[in-house]
Amino acid sequence: MAEKPAASRAPPRAQTPETVVALLAALLVTVLLLVFGSPNPARALRAFFLGPFSNRYYFGNMLDGAGLLLIAGLGVSAAFRAGVFNLGGDGQIYIAGLVAAVVCLALPQAPALIGIVLALVAAVAVGMLLAGVCGLFKYLWGTDELITSFLISAAIVPSVSYLIVGPLRNQQSNLLTTERIAEHFRLLRLLPPSNLNLALLFALLLAPLAYFLLYHTVRGYELRITGLNREFARYGGIAIGAYTAMPMAISGGLHGLSGAFAVLGTHHAAIQGFTIGLGWNAIAVALIGRNHPLLIIPAALIFAYMEAGAKAAMLHTEFSFELGAIIQAVIFFMITAQVALPRLWLRPRGRSTAA
Amino acid sequence: MIFNAVEIMTPILLAALGGLFAELAGVLNIALEGLILAGAFAGILAGAASGSLVVGMLAGALAGGLLAAVFTFFSIRLRANIFITGLAVNLLAAGSIPFISTWMFGTKGVLRFPDLPRLPRLLEGVTSGVGFIDSLLFGHSATVYLAWLLVPLALVALYRTPFGLRLRAVGAREDSVIIAGVDAVAYRRIAVLISGVAAGLAGAAISLRLGVYLPNISAGRGWIALVAIYLGYRHPIGILIAALLFGFTESLAGAAQGLLAIPGTVLLGLPYAITVVAMITYSALRARGQRRRRFMDAHF
Repeated sequence: MAEKPAASRAPPRAQTPETVVALLAALLVTVLLLVFGSPNPARALRAFFLGPFSNRYYFGNMLDGAGLLLIAGLGVSAAFRAGVFNLGGDGQIYIAGLVAAVVCLALPQAPALIGIVLALVAAVAVGMLLAGVCGLFKYLWGTDELITSFLISAAIVPSVSYLIVGPLRNQQSNLLTTERIAEHFRLLRLLPPSNLNLALLFALLLAPLAYFLLYHTVRGYELRITGLNREFARYGGIAIGAYTAMPMAISGGLHGLSGAFAVLGTHHAAIQGFTIGLGWNAIAVALIGRNHPLLIIPAALIFAYMEAGAKAAMLHTEFSFELGAIIQAVIFFMITAQVALPRLWLRPRGRSTAA
Repeated sequence: MIFNAVEIMTPILLAALGGLFAELAGVLNIALEGLILAGAFAGILAGAASGSLVVGMLAGALAGGLLAAVFTFFSIRLRANIFITGLAVNLLAAGSIPFISTWMFGTKGVLRFPDLPRLPRLLEGVTSGVGFIDSLLFGHSATVYLAWLLVPLALVALYRTPFGLRLRAVGAREDSVIIAGVDAVAYRRIAVLISGVAAGLAGAAISLRLGVYLPNISAGRGWIALVAIYLGYRHPIGILIAALLFGFTESLAGAAQGLLAIPGTVLLGLPYAITVVAMITYSALRARGQRRRRFMDAHF
């Protein structure tokens, strides 16, 4: 990597059979863990599969989670599509959420529209900045954006937590949280008492927009070609330098947007660790959706369902640990693996050159 | 301070030396973090169960190796994207250890093992008369000397054996190697397995020294090791120096914490911040050097 600064990675891709296999494997592992880990397997399984549909509250929260995942997933795929990796999504979402909350708390008297727009702009800007610099360093000096984006994010997360539980903490609350933002900044709830809000509609509009930009504009075409084959793109006269920093910045911006909606729409405050894990889930969503803006919509819904199910299973039984990381791990192992049986058996053993 | 730096450096050095094999074979092993975590957990469990630190270290190495085998099965055998599967390894370690811990001990938090023997210190009382050399060389945990021993070992293995030559060739000129009849895939798998074993040792070194297992005990050392490989110019001696530098900065930061009253939470991010600054500086300097060389080649 340090030897070849200009090189980019092939975007991680999944084919349909792999996607199905990965999802089934994740489902199977979840079921096995619930059966063997829970004191009451039947209840846990029932909660996992039916919990998200059991009432308006769970159902709405699931859809709300899908909206945030959709936006962040689009962000992940914006980088993947250009052959760059943004592994800092978790930190970008978290700090953007805090920034959105701080903007709203700093301007409690501002008109609703101005406050919301300012919060969104600030959150997107901070996300763009954090991911964009990684792209810029890659462009200038060949610094591996995969590592820098992860490290910057990992360095930031504890500081954001510190600000939330320290200087910005709401002393009246038992939760480790900032003050709640003013009523008029909160996005309209669509399915009370759940957290579902206007952000989902926004996310659903964003996906076709991303599709249009990626597949029906010159820049989108250039970005896709650069991601597929940098040398070919350069030979074809595409200014490939632009497609290192720009996709990273877009990716960070979308992560920032999702962090802002987590505050304006879902939680109305920045809570310690409230978005942690969303960045990694978004990578899984982008891969399930094969980095295609429109396919990311069902991918986000499927993943949100599994997440909500896991949460319900934990609430309903004494099953007290996070299934999330394990579900992600299974999906990450399987989703780009070439497990389609004919290929596995027809290929001569140990002779594949691609690694 | 120097003494501490050497102790802090050790797991980074162990993991980075192993990671160097993968790196030279052309694999950027971003799974080091998860491999360390697995080694730390398995190492202290086996160490406490058997009452033997050697068994603990071996178990750590075995756990790292096994997880690396899973990693290579998906990334190399099934040709899955190596970065995505690397993340999977990290997530699997971070996600399954609390599960196993809850299942075995009823808690996913701190695990204490009072019966675990203490890691012996070697060359205690030996002195050269110079304080700085003493704290650099003598009286350290046994794992420190293990890590030092592996530096010349890696050097010989990589640069003085046919195995090392082929392994490096796989990373540098894969096509020519395949034409020469070398099984590039096998070398790459072995390289990743070596990095897994070394990272497992690094993990066991961390947990056995502390005598407790804490959640997220690896604390970013896998990523630091990854960066140390580059800062060390992908060479064992360079990696030794880079790891020592990281050790120094971390022990300095630990000392500064008391003086400057930096909140503990913020400090958790510090190793990552130091690492990313080091990495960016390194690549910027390197890029400038390359540009100057190209200029000289072109004009003189």
